[in-house]
Amino acid sequence: MIALVRAELQKLFTTRLWWAMLIAMLLYTGANVGLITAVAGVETAQGASGVPGRDTIHFQQLVWSLGVGATVFTMIVGIVMMTAEYRYQTVTGTFLVTPRRGRVVAAKLLAGVVVGVLYGLATLLLTAAVVIPAVMLSGGEVVLFGEGVPRIMLGVLAALTLYVLFGIGLGALIRNQVGAIIGGIVWVFLIEALLANLPPLQTVGKWTPGGAANSLINVRIDTGFGEADLLPAWAGAAVLIGYAVIFSLVASQTTVRRDIT
Amino acid sequence: MTAIELRNLSKSFGPVKAVDDVSFAVEAGTVTGYLGPNGAGKTTTLRCLLGLVRADSGAALVNGRPYVELERPLSEVGAVLEATNFHPGRSARNHLRVMCTAAGLPVSRADEALEQVGLTDAADKRVAGFSLGMRQRLGLAAALLGHPKVFILDEPANGLDPAGIQWLRGFLRHLAHERGAAVLVSSHVLSEVEQTVDNVVIIAKGRLVHQGPLAELTAGREQRVRVRTADADKLAAALEDSGARVERAGNGVLWVHGLDQETVGRVALERQILISEIAQERSDLQRAFLELTGEPQADTPAMKGGAPR
Repeated sequence: MIALVRAELQKLFTTRLWWAMLIAMLLYTGANVGLITAVAGVETAQGASGVPGRDTIHFQQLVWSLGVGATVFTMIVGIVMMTAEYRYQTVTGTFLVTPRRGRVVAAKLLAGVVVGVLYGLATLLLTAAVVIPAVMLSGGEVVLFGEGVPRIMLGVLAALTLYVLFGIGLGALIRNQVGAIIGGIVWVFLIEALLANLPPLQTVGKWTPGGAANSLINVRIDTGFGEADLLPAWAGAAVLIGYAVIFSLVASQTTVRRDIT
Repeated sequence: MTAIELRNLSKSFGPVKAVDDVSFAVEAGTVTGYLGPNGAGKTTTLRCLLGLVRADSGAALVNGRPYVELERPLSEVGAVLEATNFHPGRSARNHLRVMCTAAGLPVSRADEALEQVGLTDAADKRVAGFSLGMRQRLGLAAALLGHPKVFILDEPANGLDPAGIQWLRGFLRHLAHERGAAVLVSSHVLSEVEQTVDNVVIIAKGRLVHQGPLAELTAGREQRVRVRTADADKLAAALEDSGARVERAGNGVLWVHGLDQETVGRVALERQILISEIAQERSDLQRAFLELTGEPQADTPAMKGGAPR
């Protein structure tokens, strides 16, 4: 199984998508982190600031959590890991080498975990590179191992990783690369965003993968809509694991029995 | 043990019976041509054999076992399917290395196999820039990685240039006759494989219509002679007097049944009829093949641009 996971990683790292998507994700998260840092503590015309000052712990919690907004990028990596096999018919060769298809799916999911963690670590490094100097320059105290910061970091890692698995499951289900990517984007930017941000829908939204990820990084900041209705962190973690299991089952059930013509 | 064995294999796609009760075997040390027109069910059969398509009934065995039960499939079976099964952004070498990793083979096998098929110079090029012929060679390199003793190739000559086809023929014969491999190679063009194969299995509309040694395909069939003359009526009459049956193909061409080339020439000489062309029919194999598969024959008189009969 280790050999198969290595082969799956080799497949990803011998094509150009992985670094293009990594750069895109870091640019996106970097822009968010930079923007929030720039406006931190700045008073608006109404006299109140939406973002806490750079010397506060709330600022640090908020910035550490921003990486979770880039789940769409790792989702696309997951989608491509699965759908590229069908798009380029490489699935034929893959199943000739490993005719027990359940093993291929398992290897892809494990490779997806590795990829998600790598993207997550890159995100956290980028965040650290901004947040640490920003806090120090404004005279605050850098907190890395308390005040919920480790939980937030883990939440970012878990969310980015889970969306790779979500992408793999979605790709196995839809198989058409463009269709799967469009479906995934609609889910993240439309459905999940509506469910998570409109207060009346949050009772449903907190159970979505995005809502569960938000419960892990919950920083309890009122950005004008009122505090979000979220699950407790432990329940969010359990929901995420549940989704990982569901996506894995979807990916293997849709792949194992199908004729490859 | 039989290298490849199909027993009463059937597979339908919806209402279409793609493969209908097909049985045959391929022994080690032989090349078997799996022939039939496009859409006859060749590819479906081979994909059942390789565990890619699930048969409705019957058995498809490699070395006595279904492909999906093989412990190390690359070391038992080398398969070449369509030449399009590559990620265009990946280099030839990396494509093979991924397979080596997944199959637990040493990575050095990738370069060795590339050398065997003559792709060493293109090893680091992305497959997107490969010609169809180069992709076929890369597919063949992939089949060689595990040193298998059974080869299953689906239309491997597609896209190869004449030199490439020549090379492929020699290579398949080498695998079977010198390395003792069992080779099953499909084609829709008999002439592509007739110099290579020992046995033929012919399939049409999903059903097996003939199997046996290549030579048996033409045994017992009458030969015909093609002759061209400016005076077709006179020659036809003369040949019919000598006991031949004559078909007129127009443009002064006659198909002569029941006489050999020399006799036809002698009749023309005796009657002082000038002939401009005389030949034994080029490929009786092709004709037998077309008759067996029920395809319209391009070289029959009826097909020749409305010639008088």
